[in-house]
Amino acid sequence: MAVCIAVIAKENYPLYIQSITTENELKFHYTVHTSLDVVDEKISAMGKALVDQRELYLGLLYPTEDYKVYGYVTNSKVKFVMVADSSNTALRDNEIHSMFQKLHNSYIDVMCNPFYNPGDCIHSRAFDNMVTSMMMQVC
Amino acid sequence: MAQCVQSVQEFIQDSFVPLVAALCSEEAERLTRKNNLGFSELVKPFCRLTSEVHMRDPNNQLHVIKNLKIAVNNIITHSPQPGGIRKLLNDVVSVSQPTEGLVTNVITAGDYDLNISDRSVKASVPWYNNWKDTLMELNTSTFYSATTPWFESYRESFLQSMPASDHEFLNHYVACMLVVSSGEPEPVEQFLKLSQEQHRIQHSSEYAYPKWFIPNTLKYYVLLHDVSAGEEQRADSVYEEMKQRYGTQGCYLLKINSRGSNRGADEQIPDPWSQYLQKNSIQTQESYDDGPYTVISNKNADHLISDDLDNDIQDGLSNNFKAHPLQLDHLSDTSSSFDGTDYIKTTSSLHESKKTSSGTPHGACLTLTDHDRIRQFIQEFTFRGLLPHIEKTIRQLNDQLISRKGLSRSLFSATKKWFSGSKVPEKSINELKNTSGLLYPPEAPELQIRKMADLCFLVQHYELAYSCYHTAKKDFLNDQAMLYAAGALEMAAVSAFLQPGAPRPYPAHYMDTAIQTYRDICKNMVLAERCVLLSAEILKSQSKYSDAAALLIRLTSEDSDLRSALLLEQAAHCFINMKSPMVRKFAFHMILAGHRYSKAGQKKHALRCYSQAMQVYKGKGWSLAEDHINFTIGRQSFTLRQLDNAVSAFRHILINDSKQPAAQQGTFLREYLYVYKNVTQLSPDGPLPQLPLPYINNSATRVFFGHDRRPSEGEKQAATHISLDQEYDCESSHQWKELEEQVVAVVNKGIIPSNFQPTQYCLNSYSDNSKFPLAVVEEPVTVEVAFRNPLKVPLLLTDLSLLWKFQPKDFNAKHNGETKELACGNDMIGAEVIAEFLINSEETKMARLKLFPHQTGELHILGVVYNLGTIQGTMMLDGIDPSIGLQAGKFVYNGMSVRGRQELEIQGPRLNNTKEEKTSIKYGPDRRLDPIITEEMPLLEVFFINFPTGLLCGEIRKAYVEFVNVSKCPLTALKVVSKHPEFFTFELGQQFQLTNFFNQYSKTNSLFTNTKSQ
Repeated sequence: MAVCIAVIAKENYPLYIQSITTENELKFHYTVHTSLDVVDEKISAMGKALVDQRELYLGLLYPTEDYKVYGYVTNSKVKFVMVADSSNTALRDNEIHSMFQKLHNSYIDVMCNPFYNPGDCIHSRAFDNMVTSMMMQVC
Repeated sequence: MAQCVQSVQEFIQDSFVPLVAALCSEEAERLTRKNNLGFSELVKPFCRLTSEVHMRDPNNQLHVIKNLKIAVNNIITHSPQPGGIRKLLNDVVSVSQPTEGLVTNVITAGDYDLNISDRSVKASVPWYNNWKDTLMELNTSTFYSATTPWFESYRESFLQSMPASDHEFLNHYVACMLVVSSGEPEPVEQFLKLSQEQHRIQHSSEYAYPKWFIPNTLKYYVLLHDVSAGEEQRADSVYEEMKQRYGTQGCYLLKINSRGSNRGADEQIPDPWSQYLQKNSIQTQESYDDGPYTVISNKNADHLISDDLDNDIQDGLSNNFKAHPLQLDHLSDTSSSFDGTDYIKTTSSLHESKKTSSGTPHGACLTLTDHDRIRQFIQEFTFRGLLPHIEKTIRQLNDQLISRKGLSRSLFSATKKWFSGSKVPEKSINELKNTSGLLYPPEAPELQIRKMADLCFLVQHYELAYSCYHTAKKDFLNDQAMLYAAGALEMAAVSAFLQPGAPRPYPAHYMDTAIQTYRDICKNMVLAERCVLLSAEILKSQSKYSDAAALLIRLTSEDSDLRSALLLEQAAHCFINMKSPMVRKFAFHMILAGHRYSKAGQKKHALRCYSQAMQVYKGKGWSLAEDHINFTIGRQSFTLRQLDNAVSAFRHILINDSKQPAAQQGTFLREYLYVYKNVTQLSPDGPLPQLPLPYINNSATRVFFGHDRRPSEGEKQAATHISLDQEYDCESSHQWKELEEQVVAVVNKGIIPSNFQPTQYCLNSYSDNSKFPLAVVEEPVTVEVAFRNPLKVPLLLTDLSLLWKFQPKDFNAKHNGETKELACGNDMIGAEVIAEFLINSEETKMARLKLFPHQTGELHILGVVYNLGTIQGTMMLDGIDPSIGLQAGKFVYNGMSVRGRQELEIQGPRLNNTKEEKTSIKYGPDRRLDPIITEEMPLLEVFFINFPTGLLCGEIRKAYVEFVNVSKCPLTALKVVSKHPEFFTFELGQQFQLTNFFNQYSKTNSLFTNTKSQ
């Protein structure tokens, strides 16, 4: 259902980007990178106090002609960006939300790995499988 | 927006100054030419008043003017050409470059450290007299970040080159100086003539261009007297006559040229002109751009003064300063406001000597007294002539307005109610309408209030100016005179900002409306740009960076690349200066600016912009952005002939596992090869460059010593376990090693010598490579290199061979101390060359390269050399699998290939024996590629003939073994060793006739083993 899933570090560099089609992966790089500004905007729009107790799920960041981009920011400012096909109208907001939560859990598992250095790119088979399963679900 | 050297107030004040025209007689012009200066140039450095001036406003209130500056210009009767202005601006920007290696400013924004190169100070802020103070403040304040001197130069030149417009009077001439030399036969006549000419220029319809503020322009009569040439008395008498005719307030006797031009050389006089004049004539651009501004030290200033006073005595001392006249160039400029106590001492001042302008020095005939006289003159003119004139004019205008207001406000507004819509003030309606609404005739009553506002603005009476502008704005809007309304709005906003004590907040919406009107309704980009520059600077000073950025970005358009580039760059700086810096926006706009710069032909600036943006993206994993920036940097550096930069930029694109599609990679590769070719052509004798492609898997390198074994043919089977085609088998190699140890022990009477090392024919990453391997003269050394092509385009390597270093050593001779190092010499080592080696896209391929040592010594295999090339890229674009056409062996050369090398550096195994080694990360040596070539040795080849493939239990078979010594050396003491000696025996008798070299062989352990028998 998602066509591209990305994990962006607090410092705004990609930790993980996976897309369904490998050949125009760079296009998703572009999409994801652009979405970061929107994420920043959304976070800075909230007051300082609100930031701590905010909803992690940011909702639809922006729609393009072909895709919809959704965002999710963890408390440690790690961003999850999910690009979904906009033709897929069956996808509802709460589904996206639950997908993000699954992704978040999986990310936490990665972080719990003592051999993982926070800030490194994510190379984890479990995480890979998780992401692929989310991208495969509908397609 | 980047930081500026000036404060906003100063910047705006200096952008709008009272203009004074100068009209010189030819004779007067000749006098000033002696100094290599025109009259207006002569007075230029002295045009800022140092003392406060008082003046009375229409309400008879005392008003103080501080730091007033005037501008004296020659009358030019044609309006500036847009093309000329564009070229001037272009030059100004391209001349002003950040100096490399100077101060770099690091802005820490979030997690980024941005290095923004920066010229420490701009050299030429002409109307800026206490810049040092500000500079010191800037240096010490935490806000000091990057400056963009090119932008400031641009802005300054832009504002100065603005053509005068009808809707505003700020750059109209307020007064006119008529300059006549005392040496003329009839100076008084000459004055009359000039006066008439001025009148003609102003009032006849012939000349549209120099625009005048009010019909009766102030004329100021200046008698120029050459002290060294003219008679003083005559000048005085003429001056007396003038005083009677024009009044003491309206004329002046200016004495210059106190020094004969012939003796100018041996004396050092500051040259305050250079910095102003270089601006106008860009041909001396290099010197202008060379370095930071010179700041003289106190010491030098003292020297200067003493030089001047007792010049004759201290000739020898002053000689020191002859070489660099510019060193002291701004003395008069600063001495007007400083008493010389707070000069900043810089070490760079001495370097400035090279800045000496190539042309003849200015002001050669002027002494310091003359400088003072000129300053005095300007002061006198402003105090006695200009300001009273302005004061009078303001008063007049005010009276007019009051009378008109009384009339119009009561009567006019009443009539307006009745005839609403029909009210078009005092002019025929339709022909005056144009796209920008109404146009007034030059002396229209509506414009009088604007005139008054402008005058007030010029003499820094901002309150009055604001109220006038405000009223004017309402009038103009009522009349739908959009251009005029926009002008009034703009100035109203500026004067509101400049009001002391800031009684009202800066009306940003005025500016917005003005900009919009200028741009959309009047289609006048120049005015819109001025508005934006002013407004952005003001917003910046109020820390409204995002507003400023939005303003700047809004004005970028297709019609001027240079302007768009500069504005985008400033916008980028705005983003980085925000309270929470927006780094990605900064980078993005920097890239946009760089793009526009390159379109505008400002290659250096483009490169700088891209490099700054690169800092944001470098190593962050955004490979698309990084590729793009690197590619552009590569191209720009290449056009600027910074080839090393270009090469490294392109290298980056290729080596970082690129995710680009094949076509794009092909382009990158071709471009890279092209650049590389240029680099190598530039320095054909230099060492071969390192190539980044293809990758070499260093640790997979294998080295094989000895001939390729003759292959098995028929029943003959080579008795060897080693070849390059075989995979390494840990277990069997261990068994072989044990066997070898056993036989050595037997030969040496049961003891294994301490220097024993098992024979290794093939070295790879599993073998023990800590010792130098032995190779034999006249036997080949084969190196297998593992190439990997990371790209999606095939790579073609041609003339691939090994690179080596050889030290010949004679191991027999006792005195082998001196070793000659010879990097080449085919008589010692023969190298095999592979003519063509193709690696398909994303393929890993081995290349086997041979060396034939012909002498004994130490060989070091350093790397590989090859020509890197591509094959015709069109095949890829068609989508045909390139490998199909290529396997046939027909390569289509692209013609593009470069010679280069890559080094083979093999990291040894990690050491893990001692505690120190365990706690730190250390690697042992790997000597795979450093064989020692020993003298000739016997070389045994063994073949089995009719070796059984399967045996029954208890069965006995006969098999033949063939021993061949292929070397010229005799082979003795052959031993055969087996793990299971009881399994077979030698049939004595017939074999010995094969060879007579075998003197002895051991019976005890003589049994075969091979893989099958295990």
